[in-house]
Amino acid sequence: MELDDLKNDWEAVSNQTSKQNKLTHKIIDQMTQQKYDSKINKIKYPEWVGAIVCVLNVFYIAFNFSKLDTLPFQIIGVSTSILLLVMAAIGLMSFNRLSLQGDLNRPYAETIRQFAIQKLRFQKFQRVNAFLGYLLLVGVVMLLPKLFYKKDVTDSKYFLIFAMSLGYIFLVFFSKWIYKFYKRSINQAEELLKEAES
Amino acid sequence: MVNKEAFIKAIQENEGLIYKVASFYTDSKEDRDDLVQEIIYNLWKSFESFHQNSSLSTWMYRVAMNVSIFHLKKKKKKVNQIPIGEDVLNFPETARDEVEERLQTLQKHIKDLNLFDKGVLMLYLENKSHEEIAQIVGISKTNVGTKLSRIKEKLKQQISKQQ
Repeated sequence: MELDDLKNDWEAVSNQTSKQNKLTHKIIDQMTQQKYDSKINKIKYPEWVGAIVCVLNVFYIAFNFSKLDTLPFQIIGVSTSILLLVMAAIGLMSFNRLSLQGDLNRPYAETIRQFAIQKLRFQKFQRVNAFLGYLLLVGVVMLLPKLFYKKDVTDSKYFLIFAMSLGYIFLVFFSKWIYKFYKRSINQAEELLKEAES
Repeated sequence: MVNKEAFIKAIQENEGLIYKVASFYTDSKEDRDDLVQEIIYNLWKSFESFHQNSSLSTWMYRVAMNVSIFHLKKKKKKVNQIPIGEDVLNFPETARDEVEERLQTLQKHIKDLNLFDKGVLMLYLENKSHEEIAQIVGISKTNVGTKLSRIKEKLKQQISKQQ
């Protein structure tokens, strides 16, 4: 199939499309309403739910802080809380950046450039978040026995061996997947940026 | 105050353009209808800023294509759109089958092109001159020629791989 065949296919689609008279006055009017805008905004809710879960966990740690009776555990408690807050902020910030902003009337190449830059930034934020996620896992493993059973993580060597082995296996597979996934996405975004700037 | 009547008239006169852009950037009827709604909503939002520095169709292509880039990122997250009358957004059954089939063939061939190439190719298939493509995309006329020959080459390779 050559480009001319594609053109023929496209012309056939175009002819069929222009024969239809689909958009009535009422439909167009509906599409311009504010209520449509509010529906679109709903896609931000999952990001907010993630952030709220992080904040609730911080409250849980703060409320049970008295259970962390030694300085090392208090440091882990504070660090885990900070991590949770940073991850919530990164999640919200990176999502908000990946959206169409500014003048819609600007040339296509400029929007592609904006899109590629946002995507690169988004991927870098996500990569940082994935790394912080692993640190969080370590923090949570240390804090869980203390917060729920008032026991030190070293009290049960089985728990420690189990949690650390599982954590290590998780780390190996997770980091391999993260590297592969983000490398491909970042390469695509970089290629797009190069294309738009050439 | 934006004149809604003028806007509705402009949309009705150019609805084919909106449907074509939406068809090019999506691969299912559901996504296409979502994108049509989003394009019209964004055209309405920026209608006030259209000062006839360019032609109406150039402005519409720009907005529609700009919206399409970001719609691709959103489409994975399910959004419930306002229900639009089924009969209004549907092609008649037989015509739709034919259109869908041709669109699927086209999508199969262009799926590996990047967003930039897709945009340039769509305008080329729309029989736009190099000058018009340059104006909509925002690159030089000579660059359009270079990009097009590169796209043709990419497509040839892709199609021969698929056959």
